[in-house]
Amino acid sequence: MRRWILFLPLLGILALPAGMAAAADTVNAYSIWPENWARPMFQEFEKATGIKVNFVRFSSGEALARVIAEKNNPRVDVLFGGPVETHAAGIKEGIFEPYKPPAFAALPARMKHAEGQWVAIADDPLVFMSNTKFLKEHNLTAPASWDDLLNPAYKNMIQMADARTSGTAVTRIFSILEVFGRDEEKAFAYMKKLRPNVQLYTKSGGGGTLPVGLGQAGAGIFFIVDALDTKAKGYDVVVSFPKEGIGTAAEAIALLKGAKNPELGKKLIDWASSPAMQSLFATYKINFVPAHPEVKVEASLAEVLKGAKIFPIDDAYAGANRKRIVERWINEVLPAQ
Amino acid sequence: MNQTPANRAQTVRRLLQDPTLLTSVVILWVLLGLFVLYPLAWLLLRTFTEGGTLTLANLLAILKDPNHRQSFWNSLLLAALVGLAGTALGFFFAFTAVRANLSKAWGTVLDAACLLPLISPPFTTAIAMIFSFGPRGLITYHLLGIKGFTVYGLGSTWFSETLTFFPIAYLTLKPILSGIDPNVEDMAFSLGSSRWRVFWTVTLPLTVPGLANAFLLLFAASLADFATPLILAGNQFPVLPTQAYLQITGLFDLKGGAVLSFVLLVPAMIVYLLQRYWVSRKSYVTITGKVGAQTMVKSVAPWARYPLLGVCLLMAGAILYFYLLLFYASVVMALGANHAWTLQHYRVIFTEGLKAIRDTLVIAGAGMPLGGLFGILVGYLVVKKEFPGRQTMEVVSMVNYSLPGTIVGIAYLMAFNDPPLVLTGTALVIVACYVFRYSPTGIRATVATLQQIDPSIEEASQSLGAGSGTTFRRITLPLILPAFFAGLGVVFIRSMTAISATIFLVSINWTLITVRILENITELSLGPAAAFSVLVVAIVFVVIALIGLALRRFRAAGAVEVASILGG
Repeated sequence: MRRWILFLPLLGILALPAGMAAAADTVNAYSIWPENWARPMFQEFEKATGIKVNFVRFSSGEALARVIAEKNNPRVDVLFGGPVETHAAGIKEGIFEPYKPPAFAALPARMKHAEGQWVAIADDPLVFMSNTKFLKEHNLTAPASWDDLLNPAYKNMIQMADARTSGTAVTRIFSILEVFGRDEEKAFAYMKKLRPNVQLYTKSGGGGTLPVGLGQAGAGIFFIVDALDTKAKGYDVVVSFPKEGIGTAAEAIALLKGAKNPELGKKLIDWASSPAMQSLFATYKINFVPAHPEVKVEASLAEVLKGAKIFPIDDAYAGANRKRIVERWINEVLPAQ
Repeated sequence: MNQTPANRAQTVRRLLQDPTLLTSVVILWVLLGLFVLYPLAWLLLRTFTEGGTLTLANLLAILKDPNHRQSFWNSLLLAALVGLAGTALGFFFAFTAVRANLSKAWGTVLDAACLLPLISPPFTTAIAMIFSFGPRGLITYHLLGIKGFTVYGLGSTWFSETLTFFPIAYLTLKPILSGIDPNVEDMAFSLGSSRWRVFWTVTLPLTVPGLANAFLLLFAASLADFATPLILAGNQFPVLPTQAYLQITGLFDLKGGAVLSFVLLVPAMIVYLLQRYWVSRKSYVTITGKVGAQTMVKSVAPWARYPLLGVCLLMAGAILYFYLLLFYASVVMALGANHAWTLQHYRVIFTEGLKAIRDTLVIAGAGMPLGGLFGILVGYLVVKKEFPGRQTMEVVSMVNYSLPGTIVGIAYLMAFNDPPLVLTGTALVIVACYVFRYSPTGIRATVATLQQIDPSIEEASQSLGAGSGTTFRRITLPLILPAFFAGLGVVFIRSMTAISATIFLVSINWTLITVRILENITELSLGPAAAFSVLVVAIVFVVIALIGLALRRFRAAGAVEVASILGG
């Protein structure tokens, strides 16, 4: 018995090298994209280049906090995915190494940072998503205006992301600001009026999609990639857009300053910002809009987007005001009962 | 303890004459210094300095904010409610298991029911709660037809945490109840007391140190848990651990999170100190060297046995329902939408998730024996030995448990990321985190057990010429072996299930199943999340069963009678 106990740590020690062993051609990344979308991309990258991607997934806030904490001793080479305001916040912390991949010239202005601190690999609009049964039960049609969400029928039945953690939420708040012509007073008055209808602010952007799918919540505001995935899984939901318009965020990639494998990291950025990766979105049924102008939007996704009024979030304006706006949201909107 | 200088000199001399003791004390202090005090120093430095000067401004800014003040009171309320309800439930289960003369089989059933919540990540129950009690919940809507039921808030958080943490109380109380010699109760019976009176005047008072321990452990566990409130508390009932977690992960505000947690540390420490000085004034010796006649337990009337068991089984049924729902989610395509059977989620975790499974097993396997050993060593030294800094050692050993896990994780991240000690990214830092955070259960179990052992047994050994090492190995160890296995079991279980501290310590090289589960839930992959949870439950069940088997073979004759590993 005693010998058996002593055997355990020994086993642990013996197994240590197994976890540490890393092939020579391995690039390390923090992925903000969910694993089920990042993994097929990285597997294709390995197929194409022979370079293996070792990655962990974190939501945007966590990934950024981690990269900042590890600034003096970076553990990864690349920050992969995530709405661009995350990367905009990172620039201030001096965590990125500017790099312009071959696709840089072809990308439209809003899909790249002028000095190459980040480049976009996809575009991700917000949408309204509602539970079909809930709508029918309350004699509602899918919300087609921001004002529709104020209907008392939605009382305590809407879920959306919490701005403290989620990039989705920050994109949503800046969308509302744009809708009100950047008039903060009016925008915050709207958000406060919406507050009684909000059942829960979720930690992650997609956190509310499952409750809406199940009917535990009636509706929510999500990135299209999460909403269409919920629908594809078989949940009875309907996607709609507000007539006043809704924001879209570029999904970015960036090389970290002090990366241990900068050359491999650059290869990953080259590949991800090019049609080579973005034409695979359709193959894997990932409903991101490609960032590279040469890649066509997949037909069924284009059908959903048809006629929708979508505007980009100005990353300079968002980056400059993000902290203040989020703090105001925490103080004024979040606690309101 | 106030000691005269002469006394102090004597304890120092005794320490120097006993090389085993001296070595143990020095090694333990080095470890505690490195893995408890050093990260904590970093945390305090961050809380109380601003640009290199000492300041209270950070703390005052938090205290002035009415939302944070509200969260503070909410946290205390929740922790107290969970502590009370969990201790009561744990005592009820333990009393039924030990004192109701149930057959071994029923004891196993109770053990198994308590084991389930303990061996799965807390937020998995929370997810099952959301499915069951929402506006379209399986129970509230589909079964009872209630519309518009709100699941988020104090009630559901309290329920979920109580269900998750009461096994800790059960683990703490069962060995203490089984350690009470039935002869003591017999004396009261023979003097004419009724069963009810014996319960209130003999059995219950003897378990007071255990009850206090259990309450403290549950209070601390609730204060440290951010995951359950994150999922269930909603925005109407904010609590501090979750606020601190969001502050750090979301706002990149290490300092704000550190300050919030510092605020939380104060009540945790107050409860700990209260308990310590209240309990330490009483004596609970019931195991003496003098062997009494073996006797039947008579404290529960035969007719009362089945109602007691019935209530326990009802609770067990509720627990089982939550886990069956979770299991169901792991074998269907998409719960609530597509209920076709599939093994796809298991295929996913055994291919893509294989690394997380291997990493977690290695870390838990390494932490388990270390944590068990550390637990009994500290507990033993603190209760049985005199050496300078004895009480400080006990307090320090509890610190990482009392601190919200989020903060332990952040403190470790800050302390071990830069030279002189670069440990982040290694398995060692995760193992250390688990050992120093979860061995206090073993320490407390050891302390509680030792307080019941008459010192004359050890004095007899020493007067016959045995050194402290020999006495420990031959006399004390067999008596506290159940506590050792409790400590060992808890460290393993927590290594498999905890998340709050280690979510900051996982790295590109070492990841954990729990972190993957939370990620899977946020990624809407409920199926793999459920499959991972089922796997964790299965692994821990097997390991605990093995330990129980080993314990039965190893138990020395005359040691405290314990039904199984869980009783330890």
